[in-house]
Amino acid sequence: MATYSLANERLRALEDIEREIGAILQNAGTVILELSKEKTNERLLDRQAAAFNASVLHVEAELSAQIRYLTQVATGQPHEGSSYSSRKDCQMALKRVDYARLKLSDVARTCEQMLEN
Amino acid sequence: MAQQRALPQSKETLLQSYNKRLKDDIKSIMDNFTEIIKTAKIEDETQVSRATQGEQDNYEMHVRAANIVRAGESLMKLVSDLKQFLILNDFPSVNEAIDQRNQQLRALQEECDRKLITLRDEISIDLYELEEEYYSSSSSLCEANDLPLCEAYGRLDLDTDSADGLSAPLLASPEPSAGPLQVAAPAHSHAGGPGPTEHA
Repeated sequence: MATYSLANERLRALEDIEREIGAILQNAGTVILELSKEKTNERLLDRQAAAFNASVLHVEAELSAQIRYLTQVATGQPHEGSSYSSRKDCQMALKRVDYARLKLSDVARTCEQMLEN
Repeated sequence: MAQQRALPQSKETLLQSYNKRLKDDIKSIMDNFTEIIKTAKIEDETQVSRATQGEQDNYEMHVRAANIVRAGESLMKLVSDLKQFLILNDFPSVNEAIDQRNQQLRALQEECDRKLITLRDEISIDLYELEEEYYSSSSSLCEANDLPLCEAYGRLDLDTDSADGLSAPLLASPEPSAGPLQVAAPAHSHAGGPGPTEHA
């Protein structure tokens, strides 16, 4: 489960980066909005500008790391693994269960008919 | 640590293009934001009138803000492409995902089969009784050659275990009924009693 979640972790990291990109644009907009006011709140301005800078650098670092990882693990070949055989076996097992259930319901119906008669 | 693999050119080119897009978009965001901040500075001396300078600054800020937004959207597209590339080409995680899926499916299949076997064992006991009841009742419509399950198994048991004298209490041979059941069964000498119902 730990390694399976690795793929999810990387995808989750990329989703976090997407949210951070949205935060970057929002911070930039807040800074410009604050600058447009007559009386600017300097502390807010500095805070938002620092957050903007930090977010941009963080996004760049994270995306560079992801691209570096992909450069290391990517091959040119398509992945040819599949879980089809086990899926088919499981499907047949479920069909067996359904068939057994069907036959049992037939027996139950027959017994009820006998009892009614 | 960073092994240089002989990637196919297409993959290598693709990853290099991702790097380039990342650098360009980040640079665009930073540069445009910096220029907007610089343009916001009010200067005392301007080459044109204040109104004209104001209009020009306004237009420039609009364009740079649009550039920032465009670069942000380009970054989102890059992240989407990276996700797709990761899903298709990150072999370690794809292998693990396939292995885990196989394990889950195999576990489910084994559980189904285990439960079916348990069900079979339980039902076979009930089926003996049901068949005994059914074939010894007057409503049975079986043919002469048909053997009830209990008798068929009883015959089989006799054939295989006659030396042991194995007696199966459940396999009590029914009395020959006056109905259609006219099985030429040998006299079963095992220790079973008479059948549950006797038909005159």
